[in-house]
Amino acid sequence: MSDPALLVLASLADGDKHGYAMMQDIEAFAGIRLGPGTLYGAITRLDQRGWIRAVKPGSRRQPYRITAEGRQYLKEQLTMLDQVVRTGSRRLNEA
Amino acid sequence: MVRWAAKLFPQAWRCRYGPEFEALLEDLAPSWRDVSDVVGRALTLRGRALIESKLPAWSGASLMSAALHLRLPIIMAVIAHAMVLSLIMVASSAYVAPIPWNRPAAPSPPPPPLPPAEITDSRVFRDVPEVYSSLPLRLSGNGGTLFTSVVEGVGIYFPPLPDMGAIDRRRNPIRRVWPGHALERSITRRVVPQYPAGTRAREVSSVFLEYLIGTDGSVKVLRTSGPALFANAARAALERWEYQPMRFEDDIIEVVSRVEVRFDGALANAAAQ
Repeated sequence: MSDPALLVLASLADGDKHGYAMMQDIEAFAGIRLGPGTLYGAITRLDQRGWIRAVKPGSRRQPYRITAEGRQYLKEQLTMLDQVVRTGSRRLNEA
Repeated sequence: MVRWAAKLFPQAWRCRYGPEFEALLEDLAPSWRDVSDVVGRALTLRGRALIESKLPAWSGASLMSAALHLRLPIIMAVIAHAMVLSLIMVASSAYVAPIPWNRPAAPSPPPPPLPPAEITDSRVFRDVPEVYSSLPLRLSGNGGTLFTSVVEGVGIYFPPLPDMGAIDRRRNPIRRVWPGHALERSITRRVVPQYPAGTRAREVSSVFLEYLIGTDGSVKVLRTSGPALFANAARAALERWEYQPMRFEDDIIEVVSRVEVRFDGALANAAAQ
């Protein structure tokens, strides 16, 4: 899973984080280091779609919070990924 | 470097996310990979913003009109080229002959040359065996005489012949009138008349001679005009001339021509002294 938007949503699922915190969190739980441009590209798209929002507008280290719509989208994506993971794992075991 | 790259982001994006993005860069220790990442993302957003700025112009138009809007320059260029080519074809069709696709294999042979014109002037050929022509022998030169040579006061000139080219086919061999200067390439022997001894006049005396070149190239004087003393001197010299046999239409013919001999006493006296 390398979709930056999904990684950002997963990072914000357990609480608000600013950009640098998101980069460290994602690197910790997914082993992927997002570049600053890629991270803020994903943040821009998620913000425009309303799946995350700025917690303290105007702050230099702006924390973001996942919205209800973002959380719903994340659940759908994780369910689909879980289906892919379980199906792939079962087929691996059967082979 | 990465801060310079951050300036590539669109203006609107920098107004919204610029400060926090700079704060993120301050927290990072940016590598060259981060710089390229920022540049790539900035250019992507800039291109996307450019496309979105153009979309409102097309939003009110239909898909077909948008397609036409895109292809309008191409369509106009094609129409312009077609019009120019049509004008060239129409203009050139009036001046350029159509290409003969069924071109004959070989060009048609040239028409055969026309036979030479024959002069049948009754004054030219008379049934006089020795005198060839009834035309006046003393013809006005009018400056058309051909100077041949001057030796010790004697000059030989070929006057223009009004009956040049006349042919008498009733004779065997054929007899033809031809100017003396045209016979110069065939002459093999020429004797210049001698100024008569004892007659050192100061003026110029001319004699005209009509002569016949036989089939063997020998010369026979037919008639003369002028002072007898000078005419006899000219005749004596002229009858020693020799030509190559004359040919016409693959036949050896006789040729009649005329010559003027001028005797200049002043020059002869000067040469004698």
